[in-house]
Amino acid sequence: MNKITNVNRRQFLISTAVVGGAFTIGITAASDADAALTKPWESPKGGAELSPWLSIMPDDTIMVRVATPEIGNGAMTQTAMTITEELESDWSKMQVEGAPADRNLKENGVYTQAGGSLAYFAGRSTTDARMKLALQVGASARERLKAAAAAQWKVPVAEVTAAKSMLTHTPTGRTLTYGQVAVKAAAIKLKEEPALKPQSEWKFLGHATPAKLSAPAIASGSAVFGMDVRVPGMVYAALRQSPVHGGKLKSFDASAVKKMPGVIDVIVVDPDEPRDTSKIKAPMTLAGAMPQSAIAVVAEHYWQAAKALEALPVEWTDGPGGQWKTYKQMRDATTDAISKPGSKVMVERGDISGLDKSAKIVEADYFTPYSDQMTMEPLNGTALVTADSVEIWHPSQHPEQGLWVAAAEAGVSPDKVKFNQTYVGGGFGRRVFGNDSRMVVAVAKKVQGRPVHVIWSREESVRQGRYRPLVAAKFKAALGANGLPEMLLSRAALGEGGYFIGWIDSPYTVAQIKNVRLETQTLPLHLLTGPYRGPGYNSFGFMYETFIDECASAAGIDPLEYRLKLLEGWPDSGWSGSLKEAAKQAGWGKKLPKGMGQGIAIANWAGGGKPQSGTTVAAVATVEVSSAGELKIHALDIAFDTGRIVNKDAVQVQLEGGAIFGLNMAMNEELTIANGRVVEGNYDTYPIMRMGDVPKINIHFGGLSGHDRFSEVGEPPVGVIGPAIGNAIFAATGQRVRSQPFRKLDLNWA
Amino acid sequence: MALELKINGTTLTTDADPSTPLLWVLRDHLGMTGTKFGCGIAQCGACTVHVNGMATRSCQLPVAAVAGADITTIEGLAPNADHPLQTAWVEMNVAQCGYCQSGMIMAAAALLKQNPKPTDQDINVAVNNVCRCGTYPRVKAAIHKAAGTMQS
Repeated sequence: MNKITNVNRRQFLISTAVVGGAFTIGITAASDADAALTKPWESPKGGAELSPWLSIMPDDTIMVRVATPEIGNGAMTQTAMTITEELESDWSKMQVEGAPADRNLKENGVYTQAGGSLAYFAGRSTTDARMKLALQVGASARERLKAAAAAQWKVPVAEVTAAKSMLTHTPTGRTLTYGQVAVKAAAIKLKEEPALKPQSEWKFLGHATPAKLSAPAIASGSAVFGMDVRVPGMVYAALRQSPVHGGKLKSFDASAVKKMPGVIDVIVVDPDEPRDTSKIKAPMTLAGAMPQSAIAVVAEHYWQAAKALEALPVEWTDGPGGQWKTYKQMRDATTDAISKPGSKVMVERGDISGLDKSAKIVEADYFTPYSDQMTMEPLNGTALVTADSVEIWHPSQHPEQGLWVAAAEAGVSPDKVKFNQTYVGGGFGRRVFGNDSRMVVAVAKKVQGRPVHVIWSREESVRQGRYRPLVAAKFKAALGANGLPEMLLSRAALGEGGYFIGWIDSPYTVAQIKNVRLETQTLPLHLLTGPYRGPGYNSFGFMYETFIDECASAAGIDPLEYRLKLLEGWPDSGWSGSLKEAAKQAGWGKKLPKGMGQGIAIANWAGGGKPQSGTTVAAVATVEVSSAGELKIHALDIAFDTGRIVNKDAVQVQLEGGAIFGLNMAMNEELTIANGRVVEGNYDTYPIMRMGDVPKINIHFGGLSGHDRFSEVGEPPVGVIGPAIGNAIFAATGQRVRSQPFRKLDLNWA
Repeated sequence: MALELKINGTTLTTDADPSTPLLWVLRDHLGMTGTKFGCGIAQCGACTVHVNGMATRSCQLPVAAVAGADITTIEGLAPNADHPLQTAWVEMNVAQCGYCQSGMIMAAAALLKQNPKPTDQDINVAVNNVCRCGTYPRVKAAIHKAAGTMQS
């Protein structure tokens, strides 16, 4: 029996027991399915609730409630697909909405379970626990629908079959639709939860590749993102936070703008004002959602608010972040730090004391800059705050956290917060800290009686980020007689809030190199950081895989062959399989004209240093560098191992998107600092690739090991695209690329 | 002083200040939120509409400048959101987060009107909108597909 069928039934029963059939809602109105599609917080009225995750409408529409917000990765659609497999429902009847975070709170954690991926409202839909849960939700509902039909026909349930949202009494051919018996089914309690079918019998999962359920609303322009929320009586606020992170508002002159058209008020957000958090016992940390010193202009329309904010005289006290007069100072601080021993040892295996006396030493320093997630939808949110309640409409990656943050900022009991999840215009980690919900409520609570839509301009979004941290790292290895590293010392220096994925958990670190020491040095750089697609991994993937390439070159061994040797004995065929598949498909080793080259890289996301875990991705870049230094990327060939896949098309588009994200990160992205302030603010200075800039991206499925897991695909490509391109540039020109972004390097080889 | 605007075949009036960009008049004054705010500097293309049939970025375009012009937004592109591009977009699962896609579709629709059978290069030039999710390969494929549908 495989893992998915091995469901913990007791756990499922515990979580459903809270509501069981007790929350059955009578049929009161026809369903309004279209409204649900475009305004996800407006549930269709009527229908029967079979469980907190599932309601069936009289017209057979099935509404699935999902705790993983849709941020473009298909997480909500995938959950509906997983339920469909066991529910035996008609896919065309399936709809999704966000599981309400306020209901989770009021109903004793009905959508969450302590520990693991079910603990919070964020992330992906294909973790083992989430898939089991969705399958069980579907199976349970199916059996109750069958029982309801059997009762209506007064026949044994064994004579009833379910398929395509239709119940059939096999001996007589009588039929009922799911919608026709849903109310009765909702009142039925099963004696025992049904067993799940084995994966080998899946008919829908692993086969069907429907468009995301959000596709029609998006193509018609009717999907309501946070930016599109319109609530009666709503006013707008344009927001400005201290341009130096951690700085404070010193003075402003509201009278200069109060008479401007539409202006209602000028509002100050003071991080030091007392906030009553006595009612806040959040199940997650709210540390990333602290208020920042800010000022906002509230007006009848956003443009009026924005113009008035522009005209508002404001002075700031910079605080410690102001000491960074130039970006070079910050870079130098990190690169100086890695020339000395680190303050913290992250990994120590074996003994590297003989490293400096070794016969063959390879050493190199690498650098990756601050980068912003640059979501297409600028940060924003809408809230109505009263004396004892908050209602918020928000594009969040983590609605449950958003609810707690709103309660904390407004000083109300969390059960007095209604959190309405909207469509999300990109996440990439930016919307998981809840600091945007914080600032929305901080402004809205000072506007009496009217909901406030708080909007960050693009520049404000970029300059008030939670950035991919700036990282400098040294790698130093002693190569043995076989050319492979015997000892490795690596030191990383970075600002506050670092992530170390792709470094401390690399198979090279945890197993394949026998003597390893990794040290870190955290510097006070005073800039806010946070998760950015593939945190840590997006820097260390580049550094580690470039360094391995340098070792291969020093040993005089082909980079592909070198990696395969280094991975010998690593008990996960997904690594060698992905390398070989990417290399084969790219025509690795083929003769290329002068100025052209191929580079390879491999890494694993979220495996935690364990074999057959997380997602392994290998990439081959084929590039051309003109003698004047112009870089053209001809193709990216990508192979991967997630174990298995449940939706080939979804995997394909996420890998493509992740590759383009990784490509842009490596080629283009860098935030610089002057006088403590982020310089870049918009697409003119922080370029994002457009259609004509994107090379041919080939996603190959031949690296899949078939191991029993469905690991994620959105983040894994970002770690390998940069090093594959950098290593290809080396192959083409002999010039080693050790810092990002590549567009700022001189690749001239004439 | 009310301004008259011809949007999606209907004459609408707005009391917005004439210097207000068309984007914000559409979104805040007229409640048509399919046209998106992305950058405010006419870079990303999320705010693309048609002005007299031409793909135009609306975030820096004062509304006074388009009084009397024929303006089409994503809401008015096709009666039942069934423009061949919109159909292709759904069939090919193009969108990821979806925020930039109205603008992409509007840019592509203007292109197909002028050039019913665009090459990859034509598409690269005409649809130079920004997408952070990386939907570009699918966007391009969907434009080719819609072009095929419209020809047949």
